[in-house]
Amino acid sequence: MAEALFYLLSAGTLAFAVGVVRSRMPLFSILNLLGTFACLAAIYLLAGFQFLAATQLLVYVGAIMVLFLFVIMLLNLGDAEEIERHAGLSLGGRRLAVAGVSAALLGLVGVFASHVTAAERGEAFAGDSRFAEHGLDALDGLAELLFSRYALAFEAASLLLLATMVAVLVLAKRERGVRGTQVSQSERETAPARELERSAP
Amino acid sequence: MNVPTGHLLALAALLFGLGVLGFLVRRNVIIVLASLELMLNATNLSLLAASRHWSQPALAGQGDPRQGPILFLFVILVAAAEAAVGLALVIALYRLKRTIALDAAGELKG
Repeated sequence: MAEALFYLLSAGTLAFAVGVVRSRMPLFSILNLLGTFACLAAIYLLAGFQFLAATQLLVYVGAIMVLFLFVIMLLNLGDAEEIERHAGLSLGGRRLAVAGVSAALLGLVGVFASHVTAAERGEAFAGDSRFAEHGLDALDGLAELLFSRYALAFEAASLLLLATMVAVLVLAKRERGVRGTQVSQSERETAPARELERSAP
Repeated sequence: MNVPTGHLLALAALLFGLGVLGFLVRRNVIIVLASLELMLNATNLSLLAASRHWSQPALAGQGDPRQGPILFLFVILVAAAEAAVGLALVIALYRLKRTIALDAAGELKG
């Protein structure tokens, strides 16, 4: 039962991922990405990682997806076809990229099939019976490791988040009087205030 | 769920390949960033597959199954930071060029 569900979810994950890559409009791409993340969270749940499934849903679906959608809405993009028409990669280049990635993938899967499954053949997976109550990602174990062996990485992560926040502020802040900040259609409608701003030194 | 680790890893590999494909082929910055997220998720899946593999009773004491979830948390953190910075760059690019086509930002190309 759980196995069938896993393969169903795997198929769903891959289908959504293909949708991410294939969609013409960025909005549909992001919605497909959301489906991929949801399927992956379900797979984590099946595999015994309850806390991480919840984390996946909270962080990816709750925060990152909203960020993507927010930017798409903010930019109010028009014709998405236009972008792909001017694609830098020629048709031959695209075909080569597709063939190369597919070949590398098939090789990788072949290696897994020959090594990993052979190594563990005959071993019963006890993920269900042993860990069903508290999951593979028991929080006490994680916290202990996070604040002992990975304490430095944990602190570095907080620094990374701070640096990210500052970087985003610097990048997204509008500099006045810099070349390239042309006035767009929407900005022109609120012209008076901006004209005042621009005439000031 | 009695699924061999190899199948989880194969799913991760396929996901990663699709991410690489989107990253190489698409020219829309937002879709390129989405492909990047796809790759990071494939990494996460393989981390958890490894953690699950080492938690088998038959392999007790050979590996630490707790490391996968920890690394998962760090990867998710980096993914969030990367999405924030990437999208700020998208906004800056759009402000400068009025487009989000990657080809518009080719000044450094020789």
